[in-house]
Amino acid sequence: MSSILAMHVAQPSRRDAYLDWLQMLSGAALVLFMWSHMILVSSVIIGPGAMNAIAGFFERTYMAQIGGPLVFAAFLFHFVLAARKVPFRAEKQGVAWAHAKMMHHRDTWLWIVQVVTAMVILIMGAIHMWVVLTSLPISAEKSAARIQGGWWLLFYLVLLPMVELHVSIGFYRIGVKWGVIKADARSGAKKAENILFGVFMVIGLVTLVRFMFLAI
Amino acid sequence: MARLLKLNVFRYNPQDPKSVPHLQTYVLDETDNMTMFIALNRVREEQDPGLQFDFCCRAGICGSCAMVINGRPSLACHTKTKDLPDEITLLPLPVFKLIGDLSVDTGVWFRAMYDKVESWIHTRKEFDPKALEERMDNAVAEQIYELERCIECGCCVAACGTARLRDDFMGAAALNRVARFVVDPRDTRTDKEYFEIIGNDTGIFGCMGLLACEDVCPKDLPLQNQLGYLRRKMGITALKSLFSRK
Repeated sequence: MSSILAMHVAQPSRRDAYLDWLQMLSGAALVLFMWSHMILVSSVIIGPGAMNAIAGFFERTYMAQIGGPLVFAAFLFHFVLAARKVPFRAEKQGVAWAHAKMMHHRDTWLWIVQVVTAMVILIMGAIHMWVVLTSLPISAEKSAARIQGGWWLLFYLVLLPMVELHVSIGFYRIGVKWGVIKADARSGAKKAENILFGVFMVIGLVTLVRFMFLAI
Repeated sequence: MARLLKLNVFRYNPQDPKSVPHLQTYVLDETDNMTMFIALNRVREEQDPGLQFDFCCRAGICGSCAMVINGRPSLACHTKTKDLPDEITLLPLPVFKLIGDLSVDTGVWFRAMYDKVESWIHTRKEFDPKALEERMDNAVAEQIYELERCIECGCCVAACGTARLRDDFMGAAALNRVARFVVDPRDTRTDKEYFEIIGNDTGIFGCMGLLACEDVCPKDLPLQNQLGYLRRKMGITALKSLFSRK
């Protein structure tokens, strides 16, 4: 009933506040997941045995079978929430692009980077999760076989920087939006954002190289 | 040897159907301590009396001469030409209604914003003209004054990505205005009442945190911290009402 009334007379609502909380919380959770994910996969650098032991643990505790699809759901949920702010009409996209070009302003560009990477991650991340979750259990040998197959290496060379950019920028932007990062800490936080991006890119690339040369 | 400055100035008169928006170039010799305000006045006096732009105080107090200078919204009177390259492009502030050339109408926008955020002290206390003025803690007074320094130039709104994308977004000037009443002990509005004004996507939850407002504000208002503070405060107000009955 109230929704029918609200069609004609705007009612005060807490909807936007809840959606903003959920966008931030799902984003923060996915940032933490992505960092843990990268660190766990990079265990292959130590040796395939280390990675297989970790993968086996997640398998035995059913965290891969249940947690995997849950992460997929959180990923789609976060996209739907964040997409509320993304301009999908060509007219508004033109305005956003012209604005960023006019301003020469780093944080305005960072937002554009987040929007573009989000679209790439939506498609490539979904493909990655589908491939991994439909061929459980995860093992170092299976992952290495995929990377050594050729096209998948290229796929991950694109997906890796997209994810790391989106995650490190998202981490910084949550901080400034919710006032956790205050004005005097902003330049330090930007440095931290760059360092996080660099560190995880290096870990990711070394992991990919390790998979390339892993004997299957 | 003085530099020759090349000014590319946006020209358009929306009142004239024959007028076509274009950039007109003026060349001007730079003088010591020249500001964009001085440069524009010289162009108007020496080269083109028809050039429209606003100014009043020439000291960063009135907020009239805000315009987009080489991509950044700022005050012409605050901008020294020596900090700029030889070629300078001047555009009117976006978002606001264009009057002509570099002149925009910020007044209507700010007036509507004041109505929306109810920009006055809300109190039921009856005023006693004979009583001594109520004392206020000095730290609180300073905090209010810090936010009251806004000169309503409109730079923060013109620089805001959200304001460019949606016409109904309040912008940092309005949110800063609300923050000013939140800290004022004389205003009796509750968090819930403030929430009704700014607790949605036209208010604080529409802010995407691009922080161009903070970076262009010619008065260096603490906009980043205020926006973060309001988002947390309004977010918590929403959560509180989730756990309390109405």
